Amino acid sequence: MANKKSGPKKKNALANFFSILVSDLKEIGVTFKEGDFKTRISFLIFGFGSLLRGLWLRGLALLAVEAGLLYFVFGFGWTYLSKLSTLGTIATSKKGRKTVYGDNSFLILLFGLLTLFAVIAFITVWRINVRINRTEQLILKNGRKLPTNKDDFLSLFDSNFDKTLLALPVIGIFVFTVLPIVFMICVAFTNYDANHQPPSNLFTWVGLENFHQLFSFGSAGFGSTFVTVLIWTLLWALLATFIDYFLGIAVAMLINKKGIRFKKLWRTILVVTIAVPQFVSLLYVSKLFARDGLINGYLLKIGAITSAIPFWENATLAKITIVVVNIWIGIPYMMLIATGLLMNIPEDLYESARIDGATPWQMFRHITMPYMLFVTGPFLLTQYTGNLNNFNVIFLLSQGGPKTGNLVGGAGRTDLLITWLYKMTINDTNYRMAAVIGIMVFIVTAGVSLVVYNLLPSVKDEEGFQ
Amino acid sequence: MANKIQGSMKTKRAVGNVIGYIVLILISLIWLFPYFGLLMASFRSFDASVEYGGMVDYIIPHTFSLDNYRFLFDTTQNNYTRWYLNTLIISLCVSVLNTLNVLCVSYALSRMRFKGRTLLMRFWLVLGMFPGFLTMICLYFLLKQVGLTQAGAIPGLILVSVASSGMGYYVCKGYFDTIPKALDEAARIDGASRARVFLTMTIPMSKPIIIYTALVAFMGPWCDYVFASYIAFGHDKSYNVAVAMQRWMVVGDYQGYFTRFCAGGIVVAIPVTLLFMFLQKYYVEGVTGGAVKG
Amino acid sequence: MKKRLVSVLLTVACGATLLAGCGEKATQETTTDTAEQTEAADTTADQTEATEEEAVDPAAYDGKEVKVWVAENVVDFTNQQIENFKTEYPQYAGVTFTVEPVGEGDAAGNMITDVTSGADVYGFAQDQLTRLVTANALEEVNPDFLADVESANSAGVVEAGKVGGTLYAYPMTADNGYFLYYDKSVVTDPSTLEGIVEQCEAAGKNFYMDLTGWYQVAFFFGTGCQLTYDTDDAGNFTKCNVDYASDKGLVALKEMVELASSSSFQAGSSAGDAVNYAAIIDGTWDAATVKEVLGDNYACAKLPTFTGSDGKEYQMSGFNGCKLLGVKPQEDEDKLQICDDLAYYLTSEKVQLARFEAVQWGPANLNAQASDAVQANEALAALSEQFAYTIPQGNYPGDYWTRSESLAGDVKGDFQKASDEDLTKALETYQADLESYAK
Repeated sequence: MANKKSGPKKKNALANFFSILVSDLKEIGVTFKEGDFKTRISFLIFGFGSLLRGLWLRGLALLAVEAGLLYFVFGFGWTYLSKLSTLGTIATSKKGRKTVYGDNSFLILLFGLLTLFAVIAFITVWRINVRINRTEQLILKNGRKLPTNKDDFLSLFDSNFDKTLLALPVIGIFVFTVLPIVFMICVAFTNYDANHQPPSNLFTWVGLENFHQLFSFGSAGFGSTFVTVLIWTLLWALLATFIDYFLGIAVAMLINKKGIRFKKLWRTILVVTIAVPQFVSLLYVSKLFARDGLINGYLLKIGAITSAIPFWENATLAKITIVVVNIWIGIPYMMLIATGLLMNIPEDLYESARIDGATPWQMFRHITMPYMLFVTGPFLLTQYTGNLNNFNVIFLLSQGGPKTGNLVGGAGRTDLLITWLYKMTINDTNYRMAAVIGIMVFIVTAGVSLVVYNLLPSVKDEEGFQ
Repeated sequence: MANKIQGSMKTKRAVGNVIGYIVLILISLIWLFPYFGLLMASFRSFDASVEYGGMVDYIIPHTFSLDNYRFLFDTTQNNYTRWYLNTLIISLCVSVLNTLNVLCVSYALSRMRFKGRTLLMRFWLVLGMFPGFLTMICLYFLLKQVGLTQAGAIPGLILVSVASSGMGYYVCKGYFDTIPKALDEAARIDGASRARVFLTMTIPMSKPIIIYTALVAFMGPWCDYVFASYIAFGHDKSYNVAVAMQRWMVVGDYQGYFTRFCAGGIVVAIPVTLLFMFLQKYYVEGVTGGAVKG
Repeated sequence: MKKRLVSVLLTVACGATLLAGCGEKATQETTTDTAEQTEAADTTADQTEATEEEAVDPAAYDGKEVKVWVAENVVDFTNQQIENFKTEYPQYAGVTFTVEPVGEGDAAGNMITDVTSGADVYGFAQDQLTRLVTANALEEVNPDFLADVESANSAGVVEAGKVGGTLYAYPMTADNGYFLYYDKSVVTDPSTLEGIVEQCEAAGKNFYMDLTGWYQVAFFFGTGCQLTYDTDDAGNFTKCNVDYASDKGLVALKEMVELASSSSFQAGSSAGDAVNYAAIIDGTWDAATVKEVLGDNYACAKLPTFTGSDGKEYQMSGFNGCKLLGVKPQEDEDKLQICDDLAYYLTSEKVQLARFEAVQWGPANLNAQASDAVQANEALAALSEQFAYTIPQGNYPGDYWTRSESLAGDVKGDFQKASDEDLTKALETYQADLESYAK
């Protein structure tokens, strides 16, 4: 855990980090110098001091962690870790008709990283172990009483309850989120693609080559395609977020309007789109708008049009159709939120405005909207970043199409970065470029969030809520 | 005079209401139309002697039949019941475990002040900005190492979903933040441990947010196509409904499965929708709270 | 701080139990699965073991598991054939065979994702061959069977299974091509494209044809263009032979653009998704679906001719390809033997004929092709007539299929209003891209 904490900290204040590091090293030195034999042996055998001081609970825990990690690193991880710098050198070969697999670059990278994590965890636990010994020794030296094993145990449910609560979630996130992300970042610096596919072929480190390819604007370069897709991604997220936002508020106000009855019924009808799984509804809607779909079919039948409208074939139309269908998905959600918030606006604000003779439009502009914008600022931001990565709507509706020869890497006119990335992974197994795009998606998302977040009026002190 | 103004106000309001109703009815029609089409298609037989199971250019089937539903639940012809059960198991487990996970994380982050707390929160926020698809292949091989792919895909999916759920603590933590801290303090002065406060005070007071978290977690797996298909490939019995049914729409081997897809979709949608309707109140509370807190 | 270690320990322990718990469940599931299958296998084993126990030592093969992936509609058929296989090869009575429905499209993708978890024997369409060879997901055909497989199946199909002169897969069908299905009551003369489109328009019916890589060559090859790739032994593309950026290419592209501008044109060649059509360019695998829709008006023909913008008449061409059965490289020679024998058996004359009878897949085997039943099949007759105008589908890089989809997108979109110069330019870019896939 400590390595994670130091990670972001380094970004914030490098100097701070080094001063902590220096004082840490100093403390370790002092611990060893002033330590008795129990403490000193603990430098090698975790928890040794605690065990001899009668604190067998924490002593055993430390020892078990040490044994577990050592077993993992040397029993499993070492073979992978040692090859991490080359990602494997032994090629797959044939013995008669039998295949003998060589090194598997993928597993070397994956488990090499996992082992690296284990080593960092080992160092962290070692540091904790040293500090515990120091504390115990100091307590004894000052003539105070050590906590009992029972105290240790009970603290897990009181003063150290946070550790109990967070231990599993943090480890889960570390193994199933952090490790894969670090892995994919590494892949961006390798040549892992269809021609270097483990287990039969090796892949290796290539430095910044993939980034060069992304930013090269030649005919085979990804540069212009990347820019085109990026612009549409940003535009799409803007349209999807704000159109849904305003229309959602409008619908909510309409339903809340005095004199409109069956409020619950209207809401329920709209909310069906949230409840029905999107892979069912969106696939159906996609077929609905197809050139040979029901909408075109009926329009042709009644003679409103003479030839089918190419909803998905024409780039501009496809974009419009997607935004429109997204309204269908987005309004109910926004409507629910707006309904709750509109009720929170103090009624006397409207009362006094009415007495002043304000028109409904003026009231909307000067009371409702400012209030909503203020309160939902952070929500709009998360909506925006969510839409940047809105995979379902694009993938299920247009699959990113229409495709065009002007874009490389199989990208279509309505592809977002995220769907483009998906295609590259699944259809072309071009993991290296997908990883680069993934990093770009992160940079875009983080960049937008950072800029907007600092502009928001409603970013308040977190403690202020409590 | 006053009467006249009141009268015109009344007519104005009445006209406004009429327009409002017309708009609402139009909206309702647009919103429900795809579901109506879906439902109708599901009643069109795929049996060649009755009607046709592929795409057609009309909505109302010529003859109503339950053939598609019969097909779905006929275990000799396909594994739909198995897929459905798989999804249900995943949903239930994920719902329970995710909720527990989120409650733990939220309580720790809301109530306890420990070293590295803000760093942890910031770190998770940053992690959430990485696109998830990238990590699929990595997760696949991690799970494969412990035997949780293909035949073991169901527990594998549950594990991955639960393991990363801690990062979705925002709404729940926001709710905990609104519970006055003074209550906790009072109980602690009386000698209750943190765990006791958490279990006997905070959790009982958080019914809406628990239901919200569980509901959202329950609904997720029904739509999970991308990751589930990645983990379970080549093992028909480990598919969830989304993965299995997606094939009926996109894989060329399944010609004329359109109406069966529609029927399958309806069967999936009904319980989820009902549950959602039933718990709608809590959902609204959750999203509203979450939106305001951001 | 001091008690953090305890929580760390707790976590490790919890994590371990969690993993162990889940792992256990997974293995349990697998064991029950295999138990079911071995039970089924045992019954046949009892029958055969009694008669031919002396022939070979069955112990070497006992307990091995062989995974087979085939398309959904032949799962039952394949299961049946595997039972027959076990009767004919009694030494494999103790082997567990599992048949999973994995479509031919998905099979290649899934195999490449993780070869080790993939099927041992699997069916796939020919266009995936090089991808699979490059990823080392295919073992060479057993030398013992090589001569036999080459002589028994039609030459084009055998060629299609080769990369750099080595045969990598067993031909299963020779029906991977397309031709015209039409509605007799609407289309009276299926010989010209213009005529068909005109009659469809007049009747307000749709004409379906996909314009992506596999289908667009009907136009390009029709006007005399060529597109082939040379490969080396490892499946790498060394050279691209293409002349799309030419007058012939322009005629073909303009014809596609014109076809796409028709109000009756619909993109797509999959009968299940098509509505209200009077003509569709599709393959034999959709014969049953089309027959169901068109009923008594069902008819098949070779692809029509079209009159190009230069006034000349061209016959539409296309690919002729096949479906293949591949064997994955094995780390165990005994298992490889089982897989080879199974693949050989499943593509033998007898089984190919049986497969045709069960699901109407056109056989690759010469004797099976000559049988009366196959000859009498309308769709296959039209296909074999069309095959006279097509070229055997060689190996194409995956990028080609992706890039050709982009061209198809442009034909329906941007190109509709493009001038001849624009189209020429587009063809030049297309050709340059296609050439860039061979290094």
